[in-house]
Amino acid sequence: MSIQEQYRSRAKELLREGTVKMVIGYGAGTTPLRRRPIFITSPDDADRLVLDAACRTNLAGYLLREGLLADQKSVAVFLTPDGVRTINILAAESQLATEQVIVLGFQIDGENARQLEGTRVADFSGIIAERKKKRKEQPSHEVARKLEQMTSVERFSFWEGEFSRCIKCYACRAACPMCWCRRCVVDNNQPQWVNTSSHTLGNLEWNLVRAFHLAGRCVECGNCSEACPVNIPLHLLNRRMTEEVLTAFDYYPGADEHQEPVLASFRKDDPETFIL
Amino acid sequence: MSEPFEPKIVAFVCTYCTYAGADLAGTSRLKYPPNVRIVRLPCTGRISPMFILKAFQKGADGVLVSGCHPGDCHFDHGNYHARRRWTAFNALLQFTGVPEERVKFSWISAAEGIKFAELIESITEEIRTAGPFEQYHKLIAETGSAASV
Amino acid sequence: MAKIGVFVCHCGENIAAKVDCTKLVAAMESHPGVAIAHEYKYFCSEPGQESIKKAVTGHGLTGVIVAACSPRMHEATFRTACAEAGLNPYLCEIANIREQCSWVHSDGEQATRKAIEITRSLVEKVKRNNELQPIEVPVTRRALVIGGGIAGIQAALDIANAGGDVVLVEREASLGGHMAQLSETFPTLDCSQCIMTPRMVEAARHPKIRLLTYSEIEKVEGFIGNFNVTVRQKARYVDMNLCTGCGECIIKCPAKKISGEFDCGLANRTAIYTPFAQAVPNKPVIDSGHCIYFKNGKCKACQRVCPTGAINFDMEDELVELEIGAIVVATGFQVQNTALYGEYGYGRYPDVLTGLQFERLASASGPTGGKIQRPSDGKEPETIVFIQCAGSRDPSKGIPYCSKICCMYTAKHAMLYHHKNHDGNSRIFYMDIRAAGKGYDEFTRRAIEEDGAGYVRGRVSKLWQENGKLMVRGADTLLGRPVEVAADMVVLATAMVPQSDSKELGKTLGIGYDEYGFFNEAHLKLRPVETATAGIFLAGACQSPKDIPDSVAQASACASKVLALFSREKLEREPVIAQNNEATCSGCWGCVLACPYNAIEKKDLTDRAGNLIRRVASVNAGLCQGCGTCVTFCRSNSIDLAGFTEKQIFAEVMGL
Repeated sequence: MSIQEQYRSRAKELLREGTVKMVIGYGAGTTPLRRRPIFITSPDDADRLVLDAACRTNLAGYLLREGLLADQKSVAVFLTPDGVRTINILAAESQLATEQVIVLGFQIDGENARQLEGTRVADFSGIIAERKKKRKEQPSHEVARKLEQMTSVERFSFWEGEFSRCIKCYACRAACPMCWCRRCVVDNNQPQWVNTSSHTLGNLEWNLVRAFHLAGRCVECGNCSEACPVNIPLHLLNRRMTEEVLTAFDYYPGADEHQEPVLASFRKDDPETFIL
Repeated sequence: MSEPFEPKIVAFVCTYCTYAGADLAGTSRLKYPPNVRIVRLPCTGRISPMFILKAFQKGADGVLVSGCHPGDCHFDHGNYHARRRWTAFNALLQFTGVPEERVKFSWISAAEGIKFAELIESITEEIRTAGPFEQYHKLIAETGSAASV
Repeated sequence: MAKIGVFVCHCGENIAAKVDCTKLVAAMESHPGVAIAHEYKYFCSEPGQESIKKAVTGHGLTGVIVAACSPRMHEATFRTACAEAGLNPYLCEIANIREQCSWVHSDGEQATRKAIEITRSLVEKVKRNNELQPIEVPVTRRALVIGGGIAGIQAALDIANAGGDVVLVEREASLGGHMAQLSETFPTLDCSQCIMTPRMVEAARHPKIRLLTYSEIEKVEGFIGNFNVTVRQKARYVDMNLCTGCGECIIKCPAKKISGEFDCGLANRTAIYTPFAQAVPNKPVIDSGHCIYFKNGKCKACQRVCPTGAINFDMEDELVELEIGAIVVATGFQVQNTALYGEYGYGRYPDVLTGLQFERLASASGPTGGKIQRPSDGKEPETIVFIQCAGSRDPSKGIPYCSKICCMYTAKHAMLYHHKNHDGNSRIFYMDIRAAGKGYDEFTRRAIEEDGAGYVRGRVSKLWQENGKLMVRGADTLLGRPVEVAADMVVLATAMVPQSDSKELGKTLGIGYDEYGFFNEAHLKLRPVETATAGIFLAGACQSPKDIPDSVAQASACASKVLALFSREKLEREPVIAQNNEATCSGCWGCVLACPYNAIEKKDLTDRAGNLIRRVASVNAGLCQGCGTCVTFCRSNSIDLAGFTEKQIFAEVMGL
């Protein structure tokens, strides 16, 4: 039985038994290579679920849809290990309770989707620990490496070029599972910290603030860059933040559901080489 | 002939240590360049990265963020939180091409008037050498409101 | 519409000699929102302040900027003046154009330009200032003292004698702490129990002191003047009202071979026991971990023999709720676990003792009646080796600090030994002798010169048993040669460490502690008995190693702090505190975690029917100290800091 078939029957079973009230998964998209999130509440609809290498979107953020988890009932959701990390962060930030989440775990290996053992987020702690180790050894993104080689003037020009295209559509924010603030800082106009006009300065401010707000929270799922209509490589900023908190604080976001947020905690011996 | 370039530097400091250190520099009649403008906050814990961006928007060529040494925070551990934020934000700024010499962080205690004066001297000189933060000024100009340099 | 008054002070020549004040006034006069701008020679003077007051009332000012010296100098002066003129004092800000301008710059023109920018940015800030009211909180005039050793007893007595109510909580079954275990005390050699037990009795009998022994702190909520404390009174299984303390139960108890804590394992006790003969209260407690009835369900010998029927095996822990205004933490210390020092053979050789065990041996109330005897065979030792700094000042064992009391008590131990055994030999291995204190150096000199204590400067590297002797090998660094001593007994001056659970108590109380677990004072030099949490004070060795005089002095200092607090009807605090916008708060609790004062609580938002809608952060005005760390953490800008709001800072920066 293919993994897709297995998970279809699993979803059916979960819904029929009443273990979950909803399965959040992937369905066919508008083109053969696109998938879109679907929300299944009836066992009969479970056959609409698709699971293959094209299922790349991190679905965790949909759990925060207003009121969805308010009735204390459980929801099953298709998640990669990074999706599971997202759930851990959302739980650590008190946005959901992991007891309400059933994980349908999978991983994309090349052209195939592979099943992952486990139903609760805690079952994936081993895989996540493994990913942390690998992340430490992982070299920087090719473009990031090039950027690091540049002079700061060249780097600034690079980003100026990228951000000049930003149209402040906030698709990055909408796609990001970590952007769940009831009010985004950019929507605060008393005071207006972030210029809302889509001139390059305002765009720079917006993207810097967003990247900073994701420091130690981003799981590098790539939803933001996927969503950006003008193809700004937003993931580069977030990856840089991830590398920083990993090297400076040995912090890997979403390690478990009790992990303290990196910027709300500290160690007295945190590194401070740059402080005069 | 234009005047020699005088950088504008904005300093965000905590009131208990660095502000008091700056006061001490004054009562000791130390001399340092007049390029720095100090914004007083209760604690480094209160200093948001947004402040730095707004200082640049107002045409600053450099920003200094300073507070109590680790272990000396009046509020016990505001500066430890600040240090983590700075670590992340500093990395982000450098990654986006804000030159390292334009954003400085320091610990200056209430007793370190000399350190304050010397630091202002040295960062002013460094930024004077680097010249105006033209790339940022250009972005400000695009917004229609000229930077008040 | 803002009507800001700007008052530029010349400070004699201090400002005016460098800054062109007239130019500054002119610049401010044309600044939007500024109603008037004046200059004057000394605004801090009486006529200066009067002129500000007149301007406030005459022009109906909505804000005041005094461009003068540092706010650290005269902010209070000018804010008071504004208040006297009917303007909320928090609508007054100081532009520092002296310490941070005229005094530090040489060029007048540049200094003037800087002064204009400084003043302008504060005008922009003050336009956004809000009226703030000092926060008033009531005071419950009842102190909680945690720990019934000498420090706790002293603090409790001082507060109670001044009329304050005190609840004294001790986790052991009796008051007394470590001081009750000591034999004689340095430098006067008065008997510890002789000076300690009257204090214990006085504390227990004091009408203002409520004694809760065998009790521990369960929960602490609230803030200065208004703490709510839950104390767990552990089940004693002995009804304190019925028990007369006759001791029949102790005689009859068949479980007799339990290593006694009070005698540091040098004597046994029974399962129902009083910790020591002079215990206060002098009533027994059943150690349920060792009691045969609790283990096997059979025995009850004590119950049968008790003439008053005081034994109650069904007793349960009780939770006592207390309303408290101030807390004194006096939880003391522990002796370091000597297992760290394998090379000194503690635990392997019965005649290797800790200093505290030696106290019990030397004590007239101890297991040997004050005779110095070897635990292994009861022989009087002919040679004793004392090893100082057995743990202290040894970073490799994790204790770089000096335990402060060991030099003195080792000298005392040697002295006591020589007094009791005139032919005895003592060898004291030391790094250096730290005898700073009244009469202390004289005391150690006496030990050496009159009592014949043999000091050897150097460390011990190895200790082993050979032919019934403890062989001690060390170095005599003064003579520069190795030494080997055949000893009958070895006493380790083990380090003083915090209570093993001090960090948990610190968390319960919301006070800081260092890497070892000693509690942090607010300021090592200037606020040594206060913690960073208002209303919680520190006495004795829970803060750092201390001897008895220091502990007592600190306890009395705590009492004076508590009494100063109790002398007031209400407390007034600066209203620079955080406030949360519940509408935009998502309840991520980053602020709760980041707050150094546990001042942010979780609040339920409910609909009219009482159903929970969501939970949001809520700032406890009594606890918040106004650092603003939460504000910076808050991604949605929901939390703000009164006096330094986001709007104010934004305006200040944009005004530069």
